[in-house]
Amino acid sequence: MTEAGSQTERPGEQSQQLSARTMATLLAAWLVPGAGHLMLGKLRRGVIFFLVVLTAVAVGCLLEGNLYRVLPNQPLTILATLGSMGMGTPYFILRFIFGYQGNIVAAGYEYGSAFLLTAGLMNLLLILDAWDIVRGRKA
Amino acid sequence: MPLSHGLLMSLYALLVSVFFALLWKRERKHQLKLFLQLFIGMVGGALLLAWLMYPFPSGPPTPFP
Repeated sequence: MTEAGSQTERPGEQSQQLSARTMATLLAAWLVPGAGHLMLGKLRRGVIFFLVVLTAVAVGCLLEGNLYRVLPNQPLTILATLGSMGMGTPYFILRFIFGYQGNIVAAGYEYGSAFLLTAGLMNLLLILDAWDIVRGRKA
Repeated sequence: MPLSHGLLMSLYALLVSVFFALLWKRERKHQLKLFLQLFIGMVGGALLLAWLMYPFPSGPPTPFP
């Protein structure tokens, strides 16, 4: 009885563990680009993703591109801000610790904005990819 | 930071190509193939578009508001 009882509890425990693991992986994937893949044992991919996203952020900052934030009466900035926030920790470090905003009169402003927004969007895709790996849809 | 349009375009294409090659393909051979397709497609496409637009006059520079 006891064994049978414990066997019936295992799937529930496993699904609970899987859910917690999934949440931890997704959170890590958002906060640190590539961390989700590293947690799933995809070392090579995780490191390369980290370098790619961080390079895009660094180039965007060097070019003084726009780190989007929500502006009043400009609803499209909500989408752009959500996209940029996809890069995770770098967004909050740049915005709240360094007070980074970008420089609209800089020669590389448009290019830099594209790099910064792309970094955020790439990391959002990485979160979805990590989710697929956790759920067994991808290798 | 050097502000060469060609260099920045190539760097952007490089980053995006590496990213999607690794995201969408799992085998090394397929990753390399997709990387080359994306990179050449983006850089080559941009150069082709620039070449096609070459005859059009660029006009006076837009004044900064």
